[in-house]
Amino acid sequence: MRFGWVVVAALVVSPPPPPGGSWRAVLDLAGGMLPFALELSEAKGRWEGRLCNGRRCQALSAVRVDGDSVVLEMADYAATISAARRGDSLAGAYRNVGNRGPRVIPFRASRGRWPARAAPAALLGRWDATFTSEFGSSPRVFEFRNGPQGLEGTMISNTGDYGHFAGAIRGDSFALAHFDGSFVYLLTGRLKGDTLRGDFHAGLRTRTPWVAVRSTGTPHLKAPTEITGADTTQPFRFAFPDLEGRPVSERDPRFAGKVVLVDIFGSWCPTCHDAAPVLVRLYRKYHGRGLEIVGLAYEVTGDSAVDGAQVRRYREKFGLPFPLLLAGINDTEAAAATLPQLRGFTSFPSTVFLGRDGRVRRVHAGFYGPATGRQHERLIREFEREIERLLAESP
Amino acid sequence: MRTGLWRFALLLSPAPLSAQLPADLARERADYTAWLTSSPISPLAAIARQAIGAGIRLGPPDADLPLDGIPQHRLTVRGGAARLEAPAGGRTVPRGTPIRLGPYTLTVDGPVGKAVVTAFAPIRVAKQPAYYPYQPSLVFTGPLRPPERPGTVRVLAPDGLEVEAAEAGTVVVPIGGTRVRLRVLRLPTAGSEESELEIFFRDGTNGRGSYPAGRFVRLEPGPDGRFRLDFNRARNPFCAYSSAYSCPAPWRGNAIPAPVAAGERYEE
Repeated sequence: MRFGWVVVAALVVSPPPPPGGSWRAVLDLAGGMLPFALELSEAKGRWEGRLCNGRRCQALSAVRVDGDSVVLEMADYAATISAARRGDSLAGAYRNVGNRGPRVIPFRASRGRWPARAAPAALLGRWDATFTSEFGSSPRVFEFRNGPQGLEGTMISNTGDYGHFAGAIRGDSFALAHFDGSFVYLLTGRLKGDTLRGDFHAGLRTRTPWVAVRSTGTPHLKAPTEITGADTTQPFRFAFPDLEGRPVSERDPRFAGKVVLVDIFGSWCPTCHDAAPVLVRLYRKYHGRGLEIVGLAYEVTGDSAVDGAQVRRYREKFGLPFPLLLAGINDTEAAAATLPQLRGFTSFPSTVFLGRDGRVRRVHAGFYGPATGRQHERLIREFEREIERLLAESP
Repeated sequence: MRTGLWRFALLLSPAPLSAQLPADLARERADYTAWLTSSPISPLAAIARQAIGAGIRLGPPDADLPLDGIPQHRLTVRGGAARLEAPAGGRTVPRGTPIRLGPYTLTVDGPVGKAVVTAFAPIRVAKQPAYYPYQPSLVFTGPLRPPERPGTVRVLAPDGLEVEAAEAGTVVVPIGGTRVRLRVLRLPTAGSEESELEIFFRDGTNGRGSYPAGRFVRLEPGPDGRFRLDFNRARNPFCAYSSAYSCPAPWRGNAIPAPVAAGERYEE
């Protein structure tokens, strides 16, 4: 009898199994379910984890496990997922804070991995989409392909891509998600005949309907070189401190007679992170023939100590061999004001190509990251052709 | 006959009407209460909002924005960037990002050319928001009818900041024995793809239990293309928490003759 009571007590108080392993996670948006994955592990009493969209993962800044409570932190975005464990499931909420109040989205997860299911060929490839909202219509391009974990792809606007999307396919319907702790994007749609129709969900409640047809090759988006114009009559002027506080301008001897790429970026900008390794490769390939690159950082706080530390981390992360200057803050209007020779500046990153005479030859707004596949490769080829052409000009 | 008319959501369900607060709404209110009573930029912490214009002085008693114990600072906006100058040096103030100034927190927001600074002090009275009892009969689902006159209009958002909102359409709900047509605007969120479908409405409780100027309530999209309008989620504009904020002007129409005794209350 006594033994029986001991057994019952042990069952009642025994802690839930540790949360290590793979989890199929979901944010429940008002218009549908945003799928992503979590990988949690423990080593020497310390928990860590990764948040994944298909095969693309990022480390969580902290994982705290206390009894049946699990808290996942994404410090870069002041965001958390807090959940309670019930057997092999997690239920809770994703939270971050905006100026108008808390942003809370229901979260749940169950053990296991999302099934990798290939999409039919009719869905793959490039689609020209038109988004329609009360504010008007705007173009996007979808790139869909089958990756090792099933359907993946990205969405591209006039000024760049939205990062890597991964998701699921069921019959002729699909749901592709991008959730990085800050951006909450879900693209749902259905193929009917030769037309795709669906919704783009941003955050908990924003839903924008779209219609897409297969790309014919005719440009659907505004060319990145048409978005930002520039004064090409005078050498392009800039003057900002480098990370050691030394003033650097276009008159610095290292730029004299060189082809210069001015990379307008921010360490906070995910697309800039996609562009950085490409710039390093271009620098290594062409520096010996007369290419220089300079990065103009537009950061979050405007405090040079804080922003400088952030940009130094960015420099180290990508091993950037060219100078980075603290140019200002990441407000588009404010940034544009520091570079008055640019017209219509709207996009981070933007790449300004200067000829050997220092004048602007091309401004490329935005950047197609690796998630765009062929677009990414084509962009690199375009950048290389432009650099080759400018290097061939006489000083 | 009822085509297009909004219906009681719970009438669609065989379950009897229940006055119990749903768990999701309870959590939503708990999150909002926590933010309202503890955030350094909670509207309960707001002490002043001032248009920056060509530049303003902060600090001394005779400044445009007096802040006890703070020496004179000057706040200007040039080329879209706000800058706070002090005798010891200056710093840039990024839009929408709180910065500290002594015991105060400042934010600069608003469209270019109409930037405003809001000053926050530590919350003195962390008064929790009060709510009417849950009313399941004031939850509706239905369609959003297209706007009669599409276009954009400049209005004040719940936080008193001017935004370019788009006419999103109208909903028709049966309240107090009549059908009431309510105008819906899509309010953008700065620097984001996100936006909200909002209704700013007045009703028979204004000044008699709810905030006199009216309340906001969101229209929430469902997965089936229909929308939910839950008056239990009606909330006060920020001007209800602090006179630092401007109150939005009533939206054309959107006056509900009957009392809507649901959602956030207002107690002097």
